Amino acid sequence: MHKNHSRNPLGVFLVLLLISAHAVLAQQKTPPPPGPPRPLNLPKITEKKLPNGLTVVLAPLPNVPKITTQLLFLVGQAADSDKHSGIAQVAATVANEGTETRTSKQIKEELRSMGANLDLFTDTDASSMFGSTLSEFAPRYFELMSDVAQHASFPETEVALAKDNLIQSIRAQRSQPSFLAGERLQKAIFGKHPYGFVVPDEKSITALTRADLKDFVSRYYVPNNAVLIVVGDFQPDAAFAQIEKAFGSWKSRELPKAEMPQPPTRDRRQIYFVNRPGSIQSEIYIGNLSIPRKDPDYFAIRTANTIFGGSFYSRLTRNIREEKGYTYSPFSSSNTIARAGFFMTGAAVRNEVTGPTLLEMFYELDRMRVLPVTDEELNAAKIFSTGNYSVELASQAGLAGRIATIYMYGLPHDFIENFRPKIEALTPADIQRVAAKYFDTYRAAVVVVGDYEKVKDQVAPFGDITLFDAEGNIVSQPRGGGGSSN
Amino acid sequence: MPSFIKRSRWLLGALLLVLMLPNPAAAKPLNIPVVYYKLPNGLKVVISEDHLAPVVTVAVYYNVGFRVEPKGRTGFAHLFEHMMFQGSANVKKFEHAKFVEANGGSLNGHTDFDYTNYFETLPSDRVETALWLESDRMRSLDVSAENLKNQQNVVSEEIRVNVLNQPYALFEWIDLWQNAFTNWANSHNGYGDLVDVNAATLEDVRSFFKTYYAPNNAVLTIVGDVDTEAVKKMVEKHFGSIPAQPAPKMPDLTEPPQTKEKKLSQTDKLANLPALAIGYHVPEQNSPDFVPMALLAQILQGDESSRLYQRLVKEKELSIDLYGGMNYFGNEFDYSGPMVMTIRTTYKVGHTGEEVLKEVDAVAADLAQKGVTEKELADAKVRYRSNIYNQLESSFGKAHLLSVLALFRDDPKQVNALLEPFEKVTAAQVKAAAQKYLVASNRTVIDRVPAPKGEK
Repeated sequence: MHKNHSRNPLGVFLVLLLISAHAVLAQQKTPPPPGPPRPLNLPKITEKKLPNGLTVVLAPLPNVPKITTQLLFLVGQAADSDKHSGIAQVAATVANEGTETRTSKQIKEELRSMGANLDLFTDTDASSMFGSTLSEFAPRYFELMSDVAQHASFPETEVALAKDNLIQSIRAQRSQPSFLAGERLQKAIFGKHPYGFVVPDEKSITALTRADLKDFVSRYYVPNNAVLIVVGDFQPDAAFAQIEKAFGSWKSRELPKAEMPQPPTRDRRQIYFVNRPGSIQSEIYIGNLSIPRKDPDYFAIRTANTIFGGSFYSRLTRNIREEKGYTYSPFSSSNTIARAGFFMTGAAVRNEVTGPTLLEMFYELDRMRVLPVTDEELNAAKIFSTGNYSVELASQAGLAGRIATIYMYGLPHDFIENFRPKIEALTPADIQRVAAKYFDTYRAAVVVVGDYEKVKDQVAPFGDITLFDAEGNIVSQPRGGGGSSN
Repeated sequence: MPSFIKRSRWLLGALLLVLMLPNPAAAKPLNIPVVYYKLPNGLKVVISEDHLAPVVTVAVYYNVGFRVEPKGRTGFAHLFEHMMFQGSANVKKFEHAKFVEANGGSLNGHTDFDYTNYFETLPSDRVETALWLESDRMRSLDVSAENLKNQQNVVSEEIRVNVLNQPYALFEWIDLWQNAFTNWANSHNGYGDLVDVNAATLEDVRSFFKTYYAPNNAVLTIVGDVDTEAVKKMVEKHFGSIPAQPAPKMPDLTEPPQTKEKKLSQTDKLANLPALAIGYHVPEQNSPDFVPMALLAQILQGDESSRLYQRLVKEKELSIDLYGGMNYFGNEFDYSGPMVMTIRTTYKVGHTGEEVLKEVDAVAADLAQKGVTEKELADAKVRYRSNIYNQLESSFGKAHLLSVLALFRDDPKQVNALLEPFEKVTAAQVKAAAQKYLVASNRTVIDRVPAPKGEK
């Protein structure tokens, strides 16, 4: 253990004297025990289906007089990218910029008049319209949402503007190390698999037409491909009637068949260096392919992540931040999605400690694989997970997001209730087993974004380097090829 | 920060709609239970019960922020915040995080212009653990040279990752404030110069603690699924015997009025697109102009229907984004001193900052001459109310508002009347605010453009 808890008792004593020795005597020396457990008050969630196939999920949570909604379409950001790279992202951006009866500006003004928001985003498995409104305006809000979902008109001027702004904002993102690192890692892990898609290139964006976009939403933004989740302050029967009225006439349509290939596997560690001349830090990401969300190991890898780097008092933070002072922002995350997943860890560190940080990250990853976690660590991680779960479910957006995972990732409907017992059943052997499999340092993708000339000698000992520029072009490759496809 | 609003041609439709809308003033009044009292040592205590979810937030707000830092110690208030996680009499280095997380919670701290806060949200049966942790560090912070050096390194990396290695380097805060203000207390870089951060000594830490981290300079707020009487006893037990200290001397924050526009241009070696930041001085919080100004800010840039968003992003197609607001870090209630309203936009290559500024001026001139429509104002009030509910939705958000109202106004019960002054604002007041404050002589402008390729 790289703990740093040794203290100088004399130092403590002197400080106490400075404050007030008398007052200190009154202070309790150990943490108070928990009080009696409080009722969990899990929300009552109901699911209904409209005749057109729209799934409606209602979860009252009347903490403020608002409702939060997510209308999710099961179509990911890489959909149709073989023909029209980026089409899902552009469609989502322009969908609320005009309908057959409303201009973009009218939509935005109407939203303001209800204290509402309605924004579309895409991710690996869905395109979602996220929104919220003051409860008193719910019927009008559902009507507007339905109009955007069914009758987005993709005005020529809005399409042109959105395409131009997307190109410009991707250029802006390419100046940020965290964007470059995330993009490179996702491509390194997933290659040509749809999950390797991050942003389209400028040529593909330019080629998109209004007709392409209209065609795309007519095929995917359909009720039998959608789930409407409503959380917040509302009466379920009244809300359902409003939803039936607003969405009842929406026509279903047969869905295109989508084939999802298997993601590539990696047989050795490879380093992907994105050169960013002038960087004074190296942004380091290390990642591996892991499991889909519905895999039974979800709970174990999630908890391994908590212990390793997914909480503040994690092994990684204690080591490279609190003991060594290499970084402000070490982290790790377990990202399990519909068809696959990946585990990753990262930190931004000053140039001088790039090599030492890689060494410590590999050490901490290997330690999770080779030695069991302690009972104390595992118990703390379990309470951390279940406690923070309660906090998450207490917010409208948090609860809506949890419900969405059930539909995006094909989880059992009792996922929310069963989260706690599944976490509580984990053993140290479960954690070590998944770490051994998925925290695989010997077959990891390692991404470094930084000033190549300044730090390359610190990175080279860890593996063969493929060098990229910020636009994603390969600058140089190790002999024998740069490994996984890009 | 949100990006925001606008309107114009649909006047008739708009008027009709107003008649059909529920009167915002008739909306359900806020009814948040608030218990407020002070311990004999001066600690302000706020308790607000809410039993919807088994969750509690415990927050301690200290009446100290960037503005009190002495010269040569920029960034010290924030470095000190980090030291509050380095251990106290009964809690070892970083074990604050261990105790909170092992009890199912999450935690953080934040340093702002005029306050520094520490908070944890956790299952409500663990409330006393959080109170014990906060009391231990308020009573008996323990610092060592080794831990100070460690956190100087960590904070240096924080400044690198958030400022020095980022395109734009937070110029809309750090550089704008350095130029908009003349009083050093207001103008200096609150994130800190690396040299200053690394020059801090143990003695600085100890004396800052003794001066500013006393119970009589703090608010303790507990929000959530707790029993008020039981919590009161816990508060007395853990905080009651922490001694008060002499009230700290606060710096003079007086800012001479600006009389001439300030304009700068900068180059950026890391950015790919140019950006413009504008800061307008805003009226003092107790001035009758303040609330109209807050609604003006909403109408100007509160969302995608806002005047500036529509003008810059949609009509003129100059900008790709727009954000900012009355208080760069927070809201209208969580600061205490001079402030500038920030407008920050990234614009497209091939255009100039002057072109963007010309459009901002056109929007300002229109507001000054024609004012806002009744519909626009009514909608801005609805938007404002909705935003306040967003803050009140989480137990931390509610704790934050209650804490700053206790800290700066000594009256957290105002939370239930927070919207009243906003509902009373008239279109004439908003127009007057535009005429008085949205003028060139009241602003600082920084145009930041990518450095020529050879310089990268």
